[in-house]
This record gives sequence, C-alpha cells and structure tokens, in this order.
Amino acid sequence: MSNPTTQISTQLASTKGLTPSPTWLTTFLTTQRPTTPLPVLNQTACFRLLASDITTSLSTNAATCFPPDIHNANIKERKLVGPIAVQVLAVEDMSKSRWEQIEAIEALERGEGTKGREIIRVAATEEDDESGGVAKGGGPHKLALQDATGKRAYGIELKGLEGVGLGMSMGCKMVLRNVVVARGMVLLEPVTVTVLGGKIEGLHKAWKEGRKAELRAAIEAGERVV
Amino acid sequence: MARKILCVAEKPSIAKSVAQHLSGGQFNTHSIGGNAFIKNYEFDFNFSPPWGQCSVIMTSVVGHLTGLEFAQEYRKWNACAPGQLFDAPVETGVDKDKKAIAANITSQAKYARALFIWTDCDREGEHIGSEVRQAAFEGNRTIEVKRAQFSNTEREHIIRAAQNPINLDDLQVNAVAARTELDLRLGAAFTRFQTLTLQTMGGDLQDRIISYGSCQFPTLGFVVDRYFRVQKFVPEKFWSIKVMHKREDMEVTFSWRRHRLFDRASVVTMFERCLTACIAKVTKLQKKPTSKWRPLPLTTVELQKLGSMYLRIDSQRVMKIAEELYNKGWISYPRTETDTFDKGMDLKKLIEKQGQDQAWGGYALTLLRGGFKQPRGGRHNDQAHPPIHPVNYVAPSSLADDERRVYEFVVRRFLACCSEDAKGESTTVEIQYGDEAFSANGLIVLERNYLDVYPYEKWTSSQPLPKFSLNETFEPTEANVTEGETTAQGYLTEPELISLMDANGIGTDATMAEHIAKIKEREYVMTQPRAGSAQTNGTTSRGGRGGRVVRGGSSARGGGGGGGSVQQFIPTTLGVALIEGYNGIGLETSLGKPFLRKEMEIKMKEICAGTTSRNDFVHETLEQYREIFVRTQQQAGVLKAVSDCITFA
Repeated sequence: MSNPTTQISTQLASTKGLTPSPTWLTTFLTTQRPTTPLPVLNQTACFRLLASDITTSLSTNAATCFPPDIHNANIKERKLVGPIAVQVLAVEDMSKSRWEQIEAIEALERGEGTKGREIIRVAATEEDDESGGVAKGGGPHKLALQDATGKRAYGIELKGLEGVGLGMSMGCKMVLRNVVVARGMVLLEPVTVTVLGGKIEGLHKAWKEGRKAELRAAIEAGERVV
Repeated sequence: MARKILCVAEKPSIAKSVAQHLSGGQFNTHSIGGNAFIKNYEFDFNFSPPWGQCSVIMTSVVGHLTGLEFAQEYRKWNACAPGQLFDAPVETGVDKDKKAIAANITSQAKYARALFIWTDCDREGEHIGSEVRQAAFEGNRTIEVKRAQFSNTEREHIIRAAQNPINLDDLQVNAVAARTELDLRLGAAFTRFQTLTLQTMGGDLQDRIISYGSCQFPTLGFVVDRYFRVQKFVPEKFWSIKVMHKREDMEVTFSWRRHRLFDRASVVTMFERCLTACIAKVTKLQKKPTSKWRPLPLTTVELQKLGSMYLRIDSQRVMKIAEELYNKGWISYPRTETDTFDKGMDLKKLIEKQGQDQAWGGYALTLLRGGFKQPRGGRHNDQAHPPIHPVNYVAPSSLADDERRVYEFVVRRFLACCSEDAKGESTTVEIQYGDEAFSANGLIVLERNYLDVYPYEKWTSSQPLPKFSLNETFEPTEANVTEGETTAQGYLTEPELISLMDANGIGTDATMAEHIAKIKEREYVMTQPRAGSAQTNGTTSRGGRGGRVVRGGSSARGGGGGGGSVQQFIPTTLGVALIEGYNGIGLETSLGKPFLRKEMEIKMKEICAGTTSRNDFVHETLEQYREIFVRTQQQAGVLKAVSDCITFA
C-alpha cells in the first residue's frame, strides 16, 4: 500500500482538480488519527481545502496557475488548459448600479428584510407590461479570482453559473478548464468552470462588512476617472 | 297606532333624492329649528311586510353627530402631562353645532315605529348610523332599528333598498369607535408632547402646533424617504451594445439581452467578441397575437391615482367631486375597494343610458350592438359596494369644468371595462452574435377596441420589421457600444404616494386623500409641479379633529389643482426634522415608518370580522404606543437636536 499522502493527492487531483501542497498535506495528516480509513481522510481533506486559503494550501505548478502575464490586455484571446484552481475574493453584479446595491444594503441594515418590517418603495402599477424582456434576478457577475500563487484576475460570468451571485461565500473555490481569457479577463461559462464551493470565514466577513464602503469608493473613483 | 317610519340619511342631498324616489315626487318639506340645511320630508310609502303602507319622515344628519373628547379637566394643554392622555377618561358628546339635528331625530322618533338608517354603506357610515340610533333611543326606547343597503341613488336601486332593510353591523361600529379612541389619545398625547418640546426652541416653532397622527406621520415618512433618496443619489455610467441591420430599406435595431452593464471593460470585451464572430444568426422567430388588456373596474384608490395622473386633479379634490356626482345621482358610491362587477348586475342598461352622449354615445351603442364584453374581475371585493360606475346620464355641458372631467373619466373607464381588449400582433426576432444575444420587437395594432373610448392609454404600432428566417445568418450593418448614465427618480408624486400608502397599508381608500391634505396643511410638505414651471399649488383643506375623517356636509373646495403637470411633494425642513428625529431615536418601529399603522388597519379588519374584540385592540395598541412614547420622552434631546440643526442650519 502506497503512502496516504500520495493517495489523497491523486484522489483530490482527479476528482476535484485540486493539488494540495506536500507541506499542507503533511500538516493535515498529523491532525488525523492513523487509523482513519482512506475515504474518510479524502473527504476531510477536501473539506479542509475548501475552507483554506489556496495560496497556502495548494501547490503552485505552472500548469495549474494563471500565466504570469494574464493581465496582458494586448492578447485578444487565449485558452488556458488548466485545471486551474482559484478562489473568489469579491463579487459584483454588473447589471446593478452601485448606488442601487448600496440602497439595498442600507434597507437591510434598517431591518427592512425582516418579515412584517418590509417597506414597499416602488408600487406596481396596473399598466405594467407583460413583455418585460430583461431577465430578473441579476447578473452577469464580475468576480475577483485568485490562484494558488496569489495572482489575481477578473472573471466575468459570460453565461450563468450556478452558485455564483451576491449571496455566495467569499473564498469559494472554482476549477477552470480550457477557459478563455480575453484582454486579461477570464470568461466564465458552465462548460469551463466547476464551482466547488467552500468559504474563507475571515475573508467573507471582511468582504461583507466592507462592501458598502467599497461600492461607495467605486462610485467616487468612477466619477473621478471620467 | 300611527304607522310611521323615520328615515335618516348621512347628508341632506341623499335624504332629498331618497325622498323623491320613494314618494314619486310627492312630499311635504318641513324646516327644522336650529339648522338651515336639514329638512324633514314627509310622504307615504308602501314598505314590504311587516311594515306595509306607512307615513315616512325622511331627514338627515351632516356626517358624524357626536365626537369623543377628554373629560373636562384634561382638555387644557397644560392640564396634565401628555403621557396621562393614554389613560385619561374620555366621553362621547353631541357636537355643539349638531345639537339641533340630534334633537330633531329624538323628537321624530317619539312617534315612529321604526328607524331606517340611510347612511353610506361603509365603516364610517355604520358608526354614524349608531349615533343616529342613539339619538332615536333618547326619544323612543322601543323603536325598531333597520338599515338600508345601497350604493347609489338610482331610483330602482333605492326602492329595492327600502324594501330589503338589514341590521346595523355593530362590529363595524366597534371598529370605528376603537379607531376614534386611539386617534384621539395618540394624536393628543404625541401632538402635545412634540409641540411643547419643540416650542421651547423658539423661533419659527414657537407658536406652531406640531400635530401627530398615526397615518399622517408614515405618509410624511414616504415623502421624506424619497426626498433623501433623490438628494443622495449619485449618477453612474453604464454601457450597452446596440446592433443595427439594414434590410429592405428598413433599419432594425436589436437590443442587447443584458440590457446594460455597469462595467465598461466587460462590455467592451463582450463587444469585441461579437465583432470577431462577424456573423449573426437568427435563433428565434416568433409571431404571436398579443393584446393590451382593458382596464379593471374602477376602485377609489385607482380613481385617486388616475385623477391625479390623467386629469391633474389632486386626490382630495377628485374625491370631493366624485362625492358630489354621487350625491346628485350621476355615479355610484365613490368609496369602494371592489374591482369586480357582480355577475347579476345589468351593465348593458347602464351603457344604454350613455348612448345619447355626443362624444361617447356612438361607442356605447356599438357595445350594445354586440361589442359588449363582461368586464374583467380583479381580486378585491369589499362586499359592500360595486366598482365606481355611472348610474345615470348627465349632459357634460351642464356640469362644472372639473366635475365634467371626472364624470367623463368615470364613464369612459366604465365603457372601456365593458369592451374587448385591444388586439395586435407582435413579432420577435432573436439573434446570436458572438456570445451575446439580441432581439428586435415589432408590434402591429390590429383592433383598438377599448382604446377608442379610453384616450388616457396609448398603444401604437411600431415601425415594421423586415423579413427574417429562422437559422439564417447575416452580417449586421452596424454594431456599437453605447454609453448612458443613471438619473435620479423624481420626488414623490401624488399617484405614487397613494400607491405606496395602499401597498403599505396606510389609511383606507376613503381616508388617504385626507392624510395627504393634512400633511400639506401642517406645512410638513410642499407641492411643486414636476416640470418646473413657476406655478404653485395652493390647495387648502378643511381640517378635522384628532385625525378624524371629515364627512358629509362640508363642501369645502380646494383651490388650484387643475395645473398642467403632475405635482410632486417635497418635505419642508420641519417635515424632515420630525421624521429624522423619530428615526434617530432608534426605535425599531419608528413613528415615521408604516408598520405600526399597518398593524392597526389589520386589527380593525379583525374587529369587523369578529375575531378581535374592541377592548383588546385598544388596549394592545395603546401599550405598543405607550412604550414608544416613553422612549421618545427619554430621548427628547434627539428630536430637538435634529430640529435644531435642520431648522436653524
């Protein structure tokens, strides 16, 4: 029987597209009883990885990370074979203005999300058209992605992805295969993206708490630039 | 014993028309001492058994007969701490100016076998009925009490109502009594407290009464909320992709399925991929019949909203005019939540009466010649009144200007309800261009139907679309990225405010207009025309006491109202200070928010349904507000501080 480190590593790479670093795995195994059966170890390792910061837990092979010049906007289009594991650092709904999002956050802060405490601010009129046209529910989203080396790039949701939205957890892991990068932006589609899930607690909390300020800053920046 | 029946209506005009219908025009008129408007009409009428042929005295009150007041020793502003008003004894008494009217009923009741109450059929009318009953009991302990059920003053309808009386609904009476008590206690306690607190700040606030009302404040809250949203608004740029194609000398514009995005880089990247793809493919081609639905039967809330929107007459004035049209017998009772016509109603007969009109008579006749369609039914039914509709024809030329416009609207709306939907054919062409989807829509209006009589709505054919076929590919003539910027919403307009009050449960359809007028009168808000022309609206209204509804008799006419553009509401510094002050106190249920009042309205309905008792309701609500009152008193500083920085900034 080969050693559990190799076995877990192979298993995670083949089923999830995640390649944990040897250091992380060794540390992980020291926390587990030697008698634990392998399938359980596999599961626990996967769970821990999804809750970890991949810049400390995954190995950094060139093939499973963003190329160093990923931001190069002169490259019109290229394909990355991967699999590249990334974690989500931030998400934004591009179909909503920042101001609209700030108002929604403030309404929740005032407790208007609670049942019986809602305030209806826009009343439907009798003349509302049945041919709305625009899909409700928001999106496409823009995601800030980070690979195992800590390199960041933006991804845009070219086609709707399950598990992606303003309600998702920060630190959520995704694996990209044969993904197209156009002008430095990763184009996300269901065929190229596997959303694994997971969450980095500290990151999520910070993102949530800082979101209103971020949105405000983005509005001001937008005003100054143009 | 004399077979005499005493009939009492809510206002003189109704008494007169009921007397005319029941008597066939033959009646004697007697004045009563002490009131020049009230008349007693005397005639004979053959009632259904057990009454049979009786002599009738038909008279009326003028709205409420009685009022609720604190006991004498609590009436003066400084007589007690405002907080004591939550428990201070209250007493019901006949209003000073109504004494002669009550005496008339008392003395007429002495010789009558039965009392028939002809007040309007709604909660308020039910309560007025109970006041009339009380006055009659003063003169005759054993008088039998009945109530006529009617919703317009058309002759047959009135005769049917006289033949089929029902009982007074004491549940509704209790609901109104409970609300009256709460309005009095809460209104007086908070009004005295905030007036006395803010008076000490001097300046502009020194001699002012700063009234509180449990509907007024949430109403004001909506205006302030919108004001701040407009003020704080920051415009943002957005981008979109537009595709244009020229074919058969026609230019078709395809719009992006994503509509618009707030991220330029993403849009440009998506756009580049469209250009790279070069070829667009038709992925969907659909032609289908479409229709624009005829309007629903008219409710009070819709009348107020649309009056303001289409006729530019403010809600309070629309209601006054509608009430006059009702009193004169031209339209049905204008306070109704019902948007469904009863299946048994003879609508064609009502349409027929409109056949003689010069403008819409021809249309009405085409409905009778086969165009008639049973109106759509909405989901609201107050089980008391039908939707607002014309009862009789009146030549528009014989009406005053605004009366004519309101009557015309009610008639056209009714005829539109009884018409066929407008029909058309819509064409949708969807294309895939790179990774992006676009679509173009075409509309051909085939039959206008109801739109012919209802000019308030528009529906027009679009430019024709050239021919496309499914799966065909083509190279679009032009594609570009367009840029736009978000704009702030406008300040709140009256139709919007009414919609918000309705959606959030503030006031009833019958009282909304009063609350809006009240916050104008108190100078918590101002109105200005939306377009920005220099005209100001000087609408004034006659005030009621303690937030009570002013009914009957008062034919106060609001000035202005007929301007050319929609009026919008802007809070005054005082209005802002009050709402910000209460929000600043940090109560979960700020008085400026709609929740508490909404709960009150729900519980009133429960009283009417018999599931909550009047005492429980009053007690619970008082406790709820008492807690808020105590917190507000403790934090009076916050209220003052906000007023201070806003008023004197």
